[in-house]
Amino acid sequence: MNSLTEKNFLIEKFTKYFLGFWAIFTGFIFPFTIFFILLYESRLAIKHFGIVHFLTSTDWDPVKESFGALPMIAGTLISTFIAILISAPVSIGIAIFVTEIAPRWLKGIVVSAIELLAAIPSIIYGMWGFLILAGVMRNKVEPFLQKIFGPIPIIGKFFAGTPTGVDVLTTSLVLSIMIIPFMASVVKDAFNLVPGVMKESAYGLGATKWEVIKDVVIPYTASGIAGGLILSTGRALGETMAVTFLAGNVPQVPTSLLQPFTTITVALANQFTEADTPLYLSSLFYLSLFLFAISFIILIIAKLMVLRIEKKWKK
Amino acid sequence: MEKITLLKRKIINKVMLFISFLAAVYGLFWLFWILGTLFVNGFKYINLTLFTQDSGPPGLNIGGLRQAFVGHFIITVLATIIGVPIGLFAGIYYAEYGKNSRFFQALRHTTDIMVSIPSIIMGAVMYALLVVPLNHFNALAGSIALAMLMIPVISVTTYEMLNLVPYTLREAAYAIGAYKWQMIKDIVLRSAKVGILTGVILGVARISGETAPLLFTSFNNHYLSFDLLKPMASLTVTIFDYAMSPYKYWHNQAWAASFCLTFFILFLFLIAKLLLHQKIQFFVKKSKKEEK
Amino acid sequence: MTEKVEIEVRNLNFYYGKEHTLKNINLKIYKNRVTALIGPSGCGKTTFLRCFNRMHDLYVGNRYEGEIIFQGRNILSKDIDLIELRTKIGMVFQKPTPFPMSIFDNIAYGLRLRGIKNKKELTEKVEKALKEAALWDEVKDKLHSSALGLSGGQQQRLCIARAIAVEPEVLLFDEPTSALDPISTAKIEELIVQLKSKITIVIVTHNMQQAARISDYTAFMYLGELIEVGPTEKIFTNPEKKLTEDYITGRFG
Repeated sequence: MNSLTEKNFLIEKFTKYFLGFWAIFTGFIFPFTIFFILLYESRLAIKHFGIVHFLTSTDWDPVKESFGALPMIAGTLISTFIAILISAPVSIGIAIFVTEIAPRWLKGIVVSAIELLAAIPSIIYGMWGFLILAGVMRNKVEPFLQKIFGPIPIIGKFFAGTPTGVDVLTTSLVLSIMIIPFMASVVKDAFNLVPGVMKESAYGLGATKWEVIKDVVIPYTASGIAGGLILSTGRALGETMAVTFLAGNVPQVPTSLLQPFTTITVALANQFTEADTPLYLSSLFYLSLFLFAISFIILIIAKLMVLRIEKKWKK
Repeated sequence: MEKITLLKRKIINKVMLFISFLAAVYGLFWLFWILGTLFVNGFKYINLTLFTQDSGPPGLNIGGLRQAFVGHFIITVLATIIGVPIGLFAGIYYAEYGKNSRFFQALRHTTDIMVSIPSIIMGAVMYALLVVPLNHFNALAGSIALAMLMIPVISVTTYEMLNLVPYTLREAAYAIGAYKWQMIKDIVLRSAKVGILTGVILGVARISGETAPLLFTSFNNHYLSFDLLKPMASLTVTIFDYAMSPYKYWHNQAWAASFCLTFFILFLFLIAKLLLHQKIQFFVKKSKKEEK
Repeated sequence: MTEKVEIEVRNLNFYYGKEHTLKNINLKIYKNRVTALIGPSGCGKTTFLRCFNRMHDLYVGNRYEGEIIFQGRNILSKDIDLIELRTKIGMVFQKPTPFPMSIFDNIAYGLRLRGIKNKKELTEKVEKALKEAALWDEVKDKLHSSALGLSGGQQQRLCIARAIAVEPEVLLFDEPTSALDPISTAKIEELIVQLKSKITIVIVTHNMQQAARISDYTAFMYLGELIEVGPTEKIFTNPEKKLTEDYITGRFG
């Protein structure tokens, strides 16, 4: 009996330290190693360009060995922003439809359909966008939009340029389609958490369905939706393949929706294999470092928002 | 006056709800268009040569994608072998040992954040760690990059599934004199088995579709290769190369490969859903029995 | 006829963080008898019960003061082997907790933990435990099917069989029938009365009638204190404290 007890006791201790090691590895060593490797590889570029110059210069020239990342950063921010702009109301609309309007048989179908959208790999979105959608955008949609919005002052500037289909508009559109599944399910889950009694109180006062949604459900879930939105932003920032197919890979800050542009992920995807000098490579790592840092920060913000809501509800 | 306001409210109601309906239609529209194109184009160009021959020279209408299917399989399996155990171990610790420690809760939150970090970053890191020192692209770097994606995902799903096991079950195990490791091995892990398996399946589904981390780690290869220290073809990178190329034959092959890949991933999703559904069905049956 | 003392509780105080949950409890648990702990919700009876097998040690922020003497030792002291303690003092919980394995493996689990591997020995002990728990006839043909397929009442009897398979001296019951229907409840009450000839039993129940039916001694608790303890018949017909009488007669929940 004693040797059995001893054996069990040893296994107990071993298990704790073994599992604990991998927990520390996953949650601490792993992310920090990534950060430090990126930092280490960027040191040449940091020394050369510093922070401000790198972030604000639009001069990305491998030949001259001058690397300014503003086009990439701007491209990332612009395409992500427009994508969120399109997908947020759509996602909320889908969530409303699924939770409040759809009959039971339709609910499951729509939810499954949205999950299907989520399962499609991003490269397929990219390829489909490039081989199918871009053509449609170039030949039909974009000329149409130009005709309508072109003459309008200020807004017209956003539709200037020759429609090629490979531009900010197409990229943001496809990006928005990719975000919808995740956002819609976050909003749907948030909506489902609203206690029935709250909605019933509003109905009891004679509110219409839309008024209940507008005045009870959405305010109740506002932080959850915001958290989901920020989380989706974090994910959209890092999207690579779809954007690589559709952005056009031109290192300029776009002034029109119909212009080709670039993003951080596009630059990385296309140029890592082309970097022939140490400074070039280091600049790409510098870009990666920024991407990592921005994503991490945005994801922390999203997490804090969600944690705050959870605390509120637990009370 | 009141009657008009009521009418106005009713109209707004109907309009807004209709718009929500349109939003759902909008989503379904894209789904059908994308999947429809994928199905039509992909199915058209699937043939046996796709699986039995390696890539042909560019421009000539010959060749298949055998090396891509094989390479993708190898890289994915290797990534799973590396990533799943580590993720499991971490997830178990977070759920069974780390609940009371603020330090480990912080680690768990960090892991959660790592789930959504851009996948191309893993590629960049492995480029520095393994590609540069070895002086050429290699499949191992690609596998490890994918494993790096898998570890946080598996950790988080394992943690969540273990949390679903009621604490009374744990207490019952302790009450009968079990050590913690015995309780975890025999009771908790067994209860959460299905959920954890589902998490693994979904993890595999996710990394199967990844391209960015492989772009400059395992790179690509037009020939069948089993050498982990050399570049290896993958379906996703090959689809990328072929779709960007000017050759129609390669475009067709890219559609066919995309179809296979998507079909495979959707299949994994379906299995995961069935597994979860079975688990839920079982609980429904169980509670119905108690009502007797 | 002198009653033999199985467990003696001396000046037990329990703290959950800053909360003083159990205050100065003194109690004797007699061997081969059923002692019931009753009292309104929140009086501390479950907290008290869980001291006997040191369940509180599983969670942070708990602190014991005082002594619980069992087999000549204070089981609250730091150098007690908890695994060994839980062999001798078992527990059945409020909700049935079948392990995700076959019926046979459930019962055999505690035995296997102790290193019993011999198939013949395991089979004998499992059968014995299932017979003592009055479950044998219902499951003898499906010993290797999953325990999760049993009904609620059967699952609870399974948990009892599992607990008695390791032949404990004491068995703690934490409201074992509160999640069950009346027929299953009656079966389990019958079982408890039968078991006491071999095992000392302490049962927490919020159902006074149950306590009156099956226990030999009853302890009434209120707000963390032990108000009164004595032979069940005396407590229910002629209690000494007014508080006890008020509770028994239903003047408060």
